[in-house]
Amino acid sequence: MKKEYLPMAVGFWGVAVPLLVFGALFTRTAAERVAIFLLAGIFLLVGALIFKAKR
Amino acid sequence: MKLTTPDWLFIIWYFILSIGIGVYYSRKAGKSISEYFLSGRSLPWWLLGTSMVATTFSSDTPLAVTGIVIKDGVAGNWFWWNFMLGGALTVFFYAHLWRRAEVMTEVEFIALRYSGRSARFLRGFKALYLGIPASCITFGWVTLAMVKIIQITFGTKGVTALAICLGLTVFYTTLSGLWGVVATDMLLFGVAMLGSIVLAVVSVEQAGGIGGLLASLKTLSAASGRDYLAVVPPLGQALPLAFFVALFVQWWAVYYPGAEPGGGGWVAQRMLAARSSKQSVLGTLWFNLAHYVIRPWPWILTALAALVIFPELQTAAPGAMEAAYPKMIGFLPQGIMGVVIASLFAAYMSTIESIVNLSGSYLLNDFYRPFVRKDASERHYVLVSRLLVVLVSLLGAGFSYVLGSVKMGWALIMELSAGIGLVLLLRWYWWRVNAWSEIAALSASAAMAVYLKIDPNSPLLAGLTRGLDGLGFKTDAWAVGIILIVLVTSFVWLATTFLTPPDDRDKLLAFYRKVKPGGFWGPIARLHGHRYRASGYAFLGWALSVVVILFFLLGVGKLIFLGWRQGLVYLICGATAAFLLSKTLNKIDWEGS
Repeated sequence: MKKEYLPMAVGFWGVAVPLLVFGALFTRTAAERVAIFLLAGIFLLVGALIFKAKR
Repeated sequence: MKLTTPDWLFIIWYFILSIGIGVYYSRKAGKSISEYFLSGRSLPWWLLGTSMVATTFSSDTPLAVTGIVIKDGVAGNWFWWNFMLGGALTVFFYAHLWRRAEVMTEVEFIALRYSGRSARFLRGFKALYLGIPASCITFGWVTLAMVKIIQITFGTKGVTALAICLGLTVFYTTLSGLWGVVATDMLLFGVAMLGSIVLAVVSVEQAGGIGGLLASLKTLSAASGRDYLAVVPPLGQALPLAFFVALFVQWWAVYYPGAEPGGGGWVAQRMLAARSSKQSVLGTLWFNLAHYVIRPWPWILTALAALVIFPELQTAAPGAMEAAYPKMIGFLPQGIMGVVIASLFAAYMSTIESIVNLSGSYLLNDFYRPFVRKDASERHYVLVSRLLVVLVSLLGAGFSYVLGSVKMGWALIMELSAGIGLVLLLRWYWWRVNAWSEIAALSASAAMAVYLKIDPNSPLLAGLTRGLDGLGFKTDAWAVGIILIVLVTSFVWLATTFLTPPDDRDKLLAFYRKVKPGGFWGPIARLHGHRYRASGYAFLGWALSVVVILFFLLGVGKLIFLGWRQGLVYLICGATAAFLLSKTLNKIDWEGS
């Protein structure tokens, strides 16, 4: 496990999860929903890339 | 604007995450001042580059871009886009040299490169100047901008929230040093971009979608005679001198925080903290790409949407134009508003934490250690560093509280150092530059700035304006002032260089051996017995990186505004240039082995 970068990865995942929830609950239009879900996906992906980054 | 429970929950959760990351790294930071200020020189390119762009993305940046776009349209952004030329220059000619120099701070470079009492004076002066007044004014400016945003979005209660935010930021920055700063910067940049993209999407929807926005902008442009979507300013019969200065002078002459000629400030600090010279180069390249390609379009879209929704902004005061950005937050749905507010806090925090860590490094490494207490333990220096970070934070907060108009002070700081860029670039590549050259450049630039403030109708300025008018330029006072400051400063420091003796040969030889610069080092290279040369590929890399940035920047813009064919052509050209750039990067021996 790459402990060095783990907190940063957790930070990105920690933002992505509420984004998914908020995107589902509070968006008003399809464009808003797509934007929020896409951004949440990017946060999940960046978190995974950081988690896998070489020390 | 009224925040609901979900908004508050997201904001509180964001604070828990970012502060948790900062505090996590506090153990590492306490080991030594190299860990505290340079993360033990172990940063990979993606971390240091993102930290650079996060620091440069402050809470006032979207407001400033909004003001520019509403006033001058998309083309107005050349006021800051021109710095991409200087940024790319730093990537290929300076980032690896900084890392090879292995100094702790930008100011310590003076001790490595120059000799004698003039060098000691210059180091002490710059440590105090950059560590206290320059840092405090930047701190105050950023904080005042954040106060304005908070007052628009929260009302006066928000200022208390901001004070808590500031206290928490200083708390984890003091504990965790640069490790905490760069680690939180990753998340803060992500959250800051998240908020700006969400706001852009909602703003464009409010303006009738992209199609509606484009149609309304065409009507507005036709009515006002100003093409808001043009990427290049209307040149007409006379070339605007401001555009000429932006393209050909500003990026190498003006010392602008985050875009210092040859690197400086927090950019240099992160290059010095890189794992290797190549990581320093890659990180600085990533910074420039993210800075010019990723950041601007959401702000530009929000600004254009604001212009359509509030057309009266066309004739508003500059402050009202900038305030359009936080005003758009009112259109967000509940829950999502919290995300955008958190993003503004993120932009603010990422700048503040870097400023206080950086100014602490100047005061400790370039003033306290060489001039106050030379031989103390690492533990002592780390403790003093932490105290200095707290001290600078308190002074900065005081500045923002006391000063009503930091903008004037900030503009003055910019003008004071408007002509020093050339000496900062040449000190790496010309052996003859000495400490007196820098002292002369700083003094001449400051003296000229003050002179032009006192006598804005000076005969020098009037004469130069007439001359430039005669050459067919459309002149303005700011652009003529910059040209005059650069001309006078360059003459003064070059004359001083030739009138004062060169630095001690042993000092120059040690620098040459360690940093291995190319350029004009004739006598020193002969002493060394080997001449280092700047790679020809560096020039190619510089040109290619500017091409990559330009094509991607414009290609993304074209796609956003539904210019599919042109946008795709730009992106393909950008991708081709990026491929060639990656090949070029591998052709250069960055480590100097």
